[in-house]
Amino acid sequence: MIKMNNVTRTYQGQDGEFNAVDDVSLEIGENEIFGLIGESGAGKSTVLRFINALETPTSGVVEVDGTDVFSLSKKKLRAHQKGIGMIFQQFNLLNNKTVRENVQLPLELHKYKDPLSVREVLEFVGLSGKSDRHPSQLSGGEKQRVGIARALITRPKILLCDEPTSALDESTTEEIVGVLKRAHEKFGMTVLVVTHELNVIKSMCERCAVLEKGHLVDIIDVVPGAGRPDYESYHQRVLEVLKNA
Amino acid sequence: MPDNFPEYIQRVIEYWPALFESLWETGIMMGFAMVAAILLGLPLGTLLFLTAKGQPMQNIFIYQLSNAFVNIVRSFPFLLLVVAMQPFIREVYGRATGDPVAASFPMMLIAIALYARFVQQSLLDVPKGVTETARSMGASIPQLVWKFLFVEARSSLIIGFTTAFVSFISYSTIMGVVGGGGIGDFAIRYGYQRYETDIMYTAIIVIIIIVQLIQWWGLRLAKKLDKR
Repeated sequence: MIKMNNVTRTYQGQDGEFNAVDDVSLEIGENEIFGLIGESGAGKSTVLRFINALETPTSGVVEVDGTDVFSLSKKKLRAHQKGIGMIFQQFNLLNNKTVRENVQLPLELHKYKDPLSVREVLEFVGLSGKSDRHPSQLSGGEKQRVGIARALITRPKILLCDEPTSALDESTTEEIVGVLKRAHEKFGMTVLVVTHELNVIKSMCERCAVLEKGHLVDIIDVVPGAGRPDYESYHQRVLEVLKNA
Repeated sequence: MPDNFPEYIQRVIEYWPALFESLWETGIMMGFAMVAAILLGLPLGTLLFLTAKGQPMQNIFIYQLSNAFVNIVRSFPFLLLVVAMQPFIREVYGRATGDPVAASFPMMLIAIALYARFVQQSLLDVPKGVTETARSMGASIPQLVWKFLFVEARSSLIIGFTTAFVSFISYSTIMGVVGGGGIGDFAIRYGYQRYETDIMYTAIIVIIIIVQLIQWWGLRLAKKLDKR
């Protein structure tokens, strides 16, 4: 379970101090898919990064499974980070490594008790035949699948998704949302999704928090839905949206 | 150039042993410089990158200290650096002149400083997301460096090394002043001081060929390793 109490992050801006995150408190349950939405600059990515300590709050407490994340020693912090997977807007793959080497990377950093195999995880994300390619030979959607495979291979107990579909087109977005939903069903983990795309939240989250200028203004129980009807092709989608066909 | 080609060949053959020996001396100086660049310049450049503001090992004191070292060595007129180091070299090596190994000390110092700067620049070119990803996975600092940064920066590290190598050759040509020898010293002694211009140009052409070969080979290797 993830718990934040009165978390604030202050930055020095050009016109003095400002709070990128201002007095945010929230609780996210075990195995939940939780969304964080807001416009750019609302502080949602910063809130997400508190959980794996990529960002440090100026004040307030962040607890994961009862442990105060920012009281941990360096070594214990790395052990904490080891159990959390993360995927990024720009995928953040190593371009000089093959798909296989990228996916395997977390296993080279730490010993994991029961990791998945590269073959299994690539099959799960639908990239079986591409393990020897380099990222430059993949499409955006495929790159994000590699990012997801790299996060899943360790069987993380928490999966952090930072704008996972914001660099992708609409149909690829749906594919990636589909992969994330399947991952949640199959492996069972707490998932946090930061995005500004409401459709993504609609089709995968149970609850979501709304952030505005660093403040948490609301927590919503999402009414589930497909987000958007399925189209057979891009052409059909264009016709539907542009011509109301 | 002499009037006819056979006469020129005759002279090159005559000077060949001296030319060969000077190439050997250049080789010794270059060898020491390259080893120093890799063993000390690479870690120093990495340290410069890691201890800068906003980086994982942020440490203003270490950063400023290494930064000052690099700047001082690089801004020293090289000839004066060679002279200034004489007492130190005599202390640690026993003699400071007339020997390519003694002449290698200033070469090593400039090699460390120069390559450290290239390494720092290469690492700054690695996208910030790479460091962030490593941190999100709980990578230690050595893991960040070896499994992430050096992997993504490898072709630019090689190109930097090639560029540094060409500069080292240029620096090595000065070492004649302390009797270090080398191909540059050969060109000056025979060509400039003894008016044997043809021999001087021969030596310069040899240098140009070496530089061309290294540059070509370095770029080829970098390209081969670049999968970005």
